[in-house]
Amino acid sequence: MFFLTYLRRELRRRMRQAIFIGLGLALGIGLVITVMGASSGVKQAQSKVLADLYGIGTDLTVTVKPQVAKNPGTGQNFRISNGPGSSGPSGQICTNGTCKALKGGDVIDTLAAANYGVLGADEAAKIARLHDVKNAVGNLLLTDNRIVIPTSNNGPLPQPSNVSVDGVDPAHQNAGPLSNAALAKGRALSSADKYAALVDSNYAASHSLKLGDTVTLANQKFTIVGILTQPEAASPPNIYVPLKVAQALSIDPATNKALTSDVDTIYVTAASAADIAEVQHEISELIPGATVTSSADLANQVTGSLASTAKLANELGKWLAILVLIAAFAVASLLTIAAVTRRIPEFGTLKALGWRSSRIVSQVLGESVGTGICGGLAGIGLGFAGVAIINKIAPKLSATVPSASGPRDGGFATSVGGPGPVQQQFNSAANAHATVSVPMSASVTVAAILLAVLLAIAGGLLAGSFGGWRAARLRPAAALTKVA
Amino acid sequence: MDNTIYRLSGVSKIYRKGNREIPAVRNLDLDIREGEWLAIQGKTGHGKTTLLQLLGGLDHPTHGDIQFAGTDPFAREVRAGSFGFIFQTFNLIPTLSAQENVEAALIPLKIHLSERRQRVLAALESVGLADRAQHLPSELSGGQQQRVAIARALVKDPKVLLADEPTGNLDEDTRDEIIGLIESLWRERGLTLILVSHDSSVVRRAQRIGVMSKGRLTIRQDTRTL
Repeated sequence: MFFLTYLRRELRRRMRQAIFIGLGLALGIGLVITVMGASSGVKQAQSKVLADLYGIGTDLTVTVKPQVAKNPGTGQNFRISNGPGSSGPSGQICTNGTCKALKGGDVIDTLAAANYGVLGADEAAKIARLHDVKNAVGNLLLTDNRIVIPTSNNGPLPQPSNVSVDGVDPAHQNAGPLSNAALAKGRALSSADKYAALVDSNYAASHSLKLGDTVTLANQKFTIVGILTQPEAASPPNIYVPLKVAQALSIDPATNKALTSDVDTIYVTAASAADIAEVQHEISELIPGATVTSSADLANQVTGSLASTAKLANELGKWLAILVLIAAFAVASLLTIAAVTRRIPEFGTLKALGWRSSRIVSQVLGESVGTGICGGLAGIGLGFAGVAIINKIAPKLSATVPSASGPRDGGFATSVGGPGPVQQQFNSAANAHATVSVPMSASVTVAAILLAVLLAIAGGLLAGSFGGWRAARLRPAAALTKVA
Repeated sequence: MDNTIYRLSGVSKIYRKGNREIPAVRNLDLDIREGEWLAIQGKTGHGKTTLLQLLGGLDHPTHGDIQFAGTDPFAREVRAGSFGFIFQTFNLIPTLSAQENVEAALIPLKIHLSERRQRVLAALESVGLADRAQHLPSELSGGQQQRVAIARALVKDPKVLLADEPTGNLDEDTRDEIIGLIESLWRERGLTLILVSHDSSVVRRAQRIGVMSKGRLTIRQDTRTL
């Protein structure tokens, strides 16, 4: 009771100094909260990008690099040229070195694993049997490349169409890109489906597709049984078809072999977040040469303003907040020592009255901690304000992410072959990157508030302990001499 | 020690400033009886206050021995319970009311709040300031502030009252009023009073008068037997 009365009165007496110290601490703590809020906003944005890219609940993806044809003549390629003086475009399609002439009106429609090499059908099962693996599901991420050979020589060569297709196991639709999708119309794929397809709503809208319509992939018609809405991030597949049908229709461009029972991507869910690194290591040993990517690996590959902001928040912001805090703590400590120096006669009197040094120190500490807590509360307010300002002024962040499921750039690529004919040829190697835009939503977390309270108390204790140490060392006789 | 409350043997206090030694009290032998009023007179800087601080356990002698009623006068507990101090500049805590300033002297004694309040009010009443209990020092006159300081010194019922120039900051009328109050409290309570002053009109009321000169104490007058 006496302690609190004394504390309150002293703080009131030195109101201006207390406000100055409190504001210094508030500034530091507010900055820490703002940086933490911004950092958490960036992390949320990253998580959103990665979750969209990866699928909900997927911890790791397993792929292998596409095989390079040992003999340049193997695999499948085609060439179409608009040569001068010819009666029409000419072309040829070659499979494992055997070429066939193309004529106007011919349609080339191939479903190929363009980005990744193939993994055996049993690889997913092997991974699923690993300790600490909860689930492992194989998908076949393909690109349907379609071009119609023109009949006349007039005008530019036609542009090929590329459609991204994901062959999914109807029994395991909760892994990979499909896990992020929501069924807007129709139904999901079932195990009984054969030539059935789920179509992305944006793709359906741009191609005027509706339930019951058909899409053609590798010259095979599929009936649309469902329309999906999917997150924009990482360009999700346009069409999902049953895995077995996809395997039967697709070819590996490197070998020109059908992917009868193969997959090219395995989505793995670890038993727990703590097991991810271990599982990643185990899979790398199980399938030598496989690329096992975790969300952390992907996060490192994210570029664009999202990555820059993350860097800014984590590096510059963190250090700025620490520097301001150190300055605030130092100023608070110096001012508290100065205040104790001015109160030497007062503490000398209390010692003459028989007060323990510890009691005097706790009085000084109490006053400092009281100031610190007021500063902390103001700092929390400043933190909320800082976060609100960030949310108000922060532009949407762009993230360029390596696509795990999106359409392959290329497929058909147009090339200019010197002064001669304009040519188009099949290009199986492609980079898959997508740029997405995500809003940054900074927020004040409970952890940030707890940290603020701890910092406020720590700041108060630090300042108070310097002042208290000085007060404790006072000899009562020397302190009283200061009065005279 | 019959009724001797203090026995000082060969007490010296030497301050050091760099390599220089400044003796404030030199080789002092002194007995003080329980309930006596000893006044110490002397010029500024001749060791009066230092001697008072040694007697109050606020500082240790450089040489010699101080015995106090069979206890260690330098122990904090002894200081908290047995010595009451009155200072020239009152030394009240400016943010605390008269009542709280007096209460501050009871904090180290760990007395229950209700008893503490009773004793504080009784002490303020004994110095005639019960009606000013809630006033801050800045709202009191110099004489009233010194009365609060006297109440603070007496509230714990000390054995010894140590007063360092208690009237030094007061005008003549207030000085007489305060010294009269101290004298009456000394008589009523049977305190041992050790009072330092350079004012002869204050000092001459004491039973025994000692004069400090260059750190040495000479007893000039002793009316204890009268």
